[in-house]
Amino acid sequence: MNNNKAIQVQDLHKNFGDVYAVQGVSFDVQAGEIFSLLGPNGAGKTTIISMLACLLEPTQGDALVMGHSILREPMAVKQAIGVVPQEIALYEDLSARENLTFWGKMYGLRGGPLKQREPLRFPSLSDRVDEVLEVVGLKDRQKGRVSKFSGGMKRRLNIGIALLHRPEVIIMDEPTVGIDPQSRRNILDNVKEMNRQGTTVLYTTHYMEEAQELSDHVAIMDHGKVIAYGTHDELVKIVGELDRIDLTISAESAQVIEQWQATEGVHQITAEDGELTLLVDDSNIVLPRLFESATQAGVRITSVEIQEPNLEAVFLHLTGRALRDE
Amino acid sequence: MKIIDVALKDMLRSFRNMFFLMFGLGVPLLMSGIFYFAFGGLGGDGGFEVPQTRVQIVNLDEPVAEYGDFSAGQMLVEFLQTEELSDLMAITKAPDAASARAAVDDQEAGVALIIPAGLSASVFDPAGETAIEMYQDPTLTLGPGIVKSIVSQFVDTLAGSKIAANVAHERLPEQGVTVDAAILQEIAMQYSNWSFSLGEGGADALLDVRSPLGKKDTDQMVGIVGLIMAGMMIFYAFFTGAASAGTILQEEESGTLARLFTTPTPQSTILGGKFIAVFALIAVQLAVLMPISSVIFGTDWGAPLPLALAALALVILAASFGIFIVSLLKDTRQSGIVYGGVMTALGLLGISSVFTMNVPYVSPIVETLPLIVPQGWAMRAMRLVMEGGGVSDVLLTVGVMLALSLVFFLIGVFMFKKRFA
Repeated sequence: MNNNKAIQVQDLHKNFGDVYAVQGVSFDVQAGEIFSLLGPNGAGKTTIISMLACLLEPTQGDALVMGHSILREPMAVKQAIGVVPQEIALYEDLSARENLTFWGKMYGLRGGPLKQREPLRFPSLSDRVDEVLEVVGLKDRQKGRVSKFSGGMKRRLNIGIALLHRPEVIIMDEPTVGIDPQSRRNILDNVKEMNRQGTTVLYTTHYMEEAQELSDHVAIMDHGKVIAYGTHDELVKIVGELDRIDLTISAESAQVIEQWQATEGVHQITAEDGELTLLVDDSNIVLPRLFESATQAGVRITSVEIQEPNLEAVFLHLTGRALRDE
Repeated sequence: MKIIDVALKDMLRSFRNMFFLMFGLGVPLLMSGIFYFAFGGLGGDGGFEVPQTRVQIVNLDEPVAEYGDFSAGQMLVEFLQTEELSDLMAITKAPDAASARAAVDDQEAGVALIIPAGLSASVFDPAGETAIEMYQDPTLTLGPGIVKSIVSQFVDTLAGSKIAANVAHERLPEQGVTVDAAILQEIAMQYSNWSFSLGEGGADALLDVRSPLGKKDTDQMVGIVGLIMAGMMIFYAFFTGAASAGTILQEEESGTLARLFTTPTPQSTILGGKFIAVFALIAVQLAVLMPISSVIFGTDWGAPLPLALAALALVILAASFGIFIVSLLKDTRQSGIVYGGVMTALGLLGISSVFTMNVPYVSPIVETLPLIVPQGWAMRAMRLVMEGGGVSDVLLTVGVMLALSLVFFLIGVFMFKKRFA
């Protein structure tokens, strides 16, 4: 392994016929950090995850996971990683405990003590299953059929399976999609806890706030390419001192948007269903101009929010599009 | 071993699946049970049981002193009371014709036989005519029909004896032979004996009870229900094979298969474990259905060794065919169409010999057509075993089944490897 790099992605490409899902992606994930791939749906995040998990063969390029090549040593890679898929992948007619026991066996866990990378040795598969059930908060429901679980409970079990064999790297593909805020909070806390225990986390999401909260480094993706990479502060500097203004108007008006685009100090506008996002030089100066134009066009501004530059602003600045939940 | 872990997981899920329990075990037993109760316990020992008919008999005949007190009426009564006919008829002597008829009217008997006075005399009187009256319950058909048939054959024999006696009476004097009553009686009796000896002897020749199968060999007669049970078992074994293999498509769609592929478990182990589960589930299905049908329906499955061969070949063939069929499908939506339509059609064609076993003359094409599908070969093997065949009788069919299995399995494995490459 090169220095402390848990993952080294080297010029990965993946084509599906004429569709270029991943185009020349390279990045490094330091051991022990949380690294996010941030981008809208269809950016290529899941394709990269699939290649790192050795589910898809790259068209070109390679990657090293804990020093093992995904092309030449897939079994070693799979032993080093735990994958949390985007869709819940559980056996719904088995209980939580039965699921964990089966998946533990697939990771090579058995009744007796096992070799571990750490001096720590955990007891039998059964004991490890108990531990994981405790971590994901399903100890009381371990004998219940998964089909009876709520969405949040299934998500937690989905994560628990990836933790069974204490992998060095956890890859999580949009684990919070479609769940309630409380469950999402629970998952984010679990990710931080895993990382505190030394696990490297590769996390994909299209929620900017998750990437901001969790990550040491973020790679922003769009159309199969990494368009920006760095820490949160480094990325935000791309948009410089620009302010972000989120506006809601009473009726979408092409005329007023056109006028705003021509307004001095406005760099970028995206509009969708009456919600607009603007990047401007100084919100204090630009905002009155926007109100004036709207009044002249007979459009009412119903809400205004001014934000510090963030990753969404970075994405907007780089692509001209909003990073929205599609 | 991981391959066994995968197999056991699939088997556990199947045993919790109502679809498997119903269509793998419940429905075959239910279908066979319907036929069993419809035929009233038919096929347990391979025999067709005719209900016993209660007969009231009145003998008004008088012995003919001239011919040594010969009494045709008494002969008939004694004949109907023989042990060979006791399963068919329960004879009760009535005091008179009126009470015999009354017993029928009151449904205390199915038939009243009234042997007229002068029956014996008419045998020796060339111009003599008489008739045995049969008074029956109009709601019955089979029992009175049998009684009538037996009595008619007896009467025909008597008539034949009469003709023989008359011919002797006319012709022998021309040859210079003096014919007296004793000689005529002797001629009549010899004719009667000869007439009865044309069949297998005695009452057995008058009524030959066979099952609808048409086979005479009662030792090896296969029960109707037994064959139906075998057909149902084969039909649903192939369904189980396809449904079990279909879990590969289900797991693909649910994402658990992809997740399995992210674990450090070789793909061959994962798919191998699933294939093992397919074989094992069909084996369990047979292991449950066969003993239960033996106990409940009295099904005779045949000799153990050829049966084991046929059953093993059935397991392998049904599993391989299921793997092959599923490997051609794109998703679970297609599998629904295949199970409902294709497998049903193939299964019915394969076991169609069960539906033609009552037909006396079956075209060779109809007999051969089922062999174009694997179910047909399985049915052939089971039928050979259940009809008393030994290992050598069933070996060729088992060989064909195993060869087909190999072809199906190899194609299925190839298709799956290509799919998940």
